Amino acid sequence: MKLLIVALGLLLGSSLQAQDFAKHLTEARTAYTGGKLEDARFAMQQMMHELDIITGKEVLTLLPQKLDTLSANIPHDEVTGASGFTGVVIHRDYGKAIAQDGSEDKVSLEVITNSPLLGALNGLLALPILGNNPDQKVVKINGYKALVTKVSSTGEKDAFEVQLPLNNSLITLKAPGYNQDKIVAMANTIPVAAIAKAIQ
Amino acid sequence: MHPLKLAFGSCILLAMAAPVHAQGKFLKKVSNAANNVLNTVNSGGNNSSPAGGTPAGELPNASPSSSGRPTNKAGLGLIATPPDVAANLTTSESAYATKNYGEARYALQQAMLGVELQIGQSILKALPEEILSLPRQAQQDQVASTGWGWAGLIIKREYQKEDKALTINITNNAMWMQAINMYLTSGMMNQSMGGQQNWKQTRLKNNRAVIEYDESSGYKLSVPLGQSTLFMLEGVNFANEQEFMKAAEAVDIEKIKDLLNEK
Repeated sequence: MKLLIVALGLLLGSSLQAQDFAKHLTEARTAYTGGKLEDARFAMQQMMHELDIITGKEVLTLLPQKLDTLSANIPHDEVTGASGFTGVVIHRDYGKAIAQDGSEDKVSLEVITNSPLLGALNGLLALPILGNNPDQKVVKINGYKALVTKVSSTGEKDAFEVQLPLNNSLITLKAPGYNQDKIVAMANTIPVAAIAKAIQ
Repeated sequence: MHPLKLAFGSCILLAMAAPVHAQGKFLKKVSNAANNVLNTVNSGGNNSSPAGGTPAGELPNASPSSSGRPTNKAGLGLIATPPDVAANLTTSESAYATKNYGEARYALQQAMLGVELQIGQSILKALPEEILSLPRQAQQDQVASTGWGWAGLIIKREYQKEDKALTINITNNAMWMQAINMYLTSGMMNQSMGGQQNWKQTRLKNNRAVIEYDESSGYKLSVPLGQSTLFMLEGVNFANEQEFMKAAEAVDIEKIKDLLNEK
């Protein structure tokens, strides 16, 4: 029932967004035909934002419902941000927020799309030299190069994150409490090719 | 693919396509062309013919570089083809309808680029042909855009006569612009070094601005316009601040604001 409500909510959201896209498209065309270039540009910027949010929602439908034994917290799903600058952040988390020992035990998966700021970061991530850092390792996730980083300090519970660059986008998986092999196995269940196709 | 294989493959295809009565003559030409390719490969990529003549397709004065590869001496460059705004909007609409969002985004980005380039060109048209007897350098006119994003729309115009030069740079819709504009118009900054004032607040036609002077680069005026535009003027070899400001006043700032929809 809960899932049905969420699905209906997403559907209604997309339908409203579709209306906005069409509305801004009409505005852009009218302004452009009337020689109001700046107004046409503004309407197109609105369209771009709508498009990025819709794409984000589409990506959410591609993400796994479960990672390892943890179920997705669908009500926490979010698509936020500014396209063209910081990028649009698509967020989903899995599992309970608090583990039995009281520690944070939530796995989070984030996809940042179309952020010009990520170009340089992604270039760095692709450098093999990063593999020399004992806390970092370059691995392949579904055929894509990715970086696994140990983010926990000595004495703390294991915490790793996987970062997978895709042009101007970045997929980040954070899984506190899981070891390196486990997080890599989890990451391999993410449909990277389908996400790459959706956000290209 | 190896050049020989490529040439040979092309030759076969062309020979097959030619009418039968022309095949004899055609094959001779093909054979000559293949020989030319062979000579090129055998001579280590050096295209000069053994007889000192010019092989077909080579430019007479193309000189090989030290690696043996000729340097480019001709070519008319690319044809300026700004994106077709209306066509790209239609492509974006159709792609959106079929849920091909990546394609819809790309087409929309192209449409935005098209509009931005047109805005840039209209601003260049609104700038004077000449400022204080300095003629515009038509070849240096520039409009560049990254679509929506970090760099935004950049418009550049240069004026020069002998060693006196003036450069106009207009940056619009760049993400970092608001912070810069806020800083420049805050009126909180004023600076002098060793009795010499190099940076101060001023106004250009009622717009708050900052003027700077540097011994090596000359005068620079930065005028934030509205929410997301920065007008910058740089002058080399201007006699004094007054003369430089007179040059700045020759620009129709209100027209630029109007074209960029800045308030």
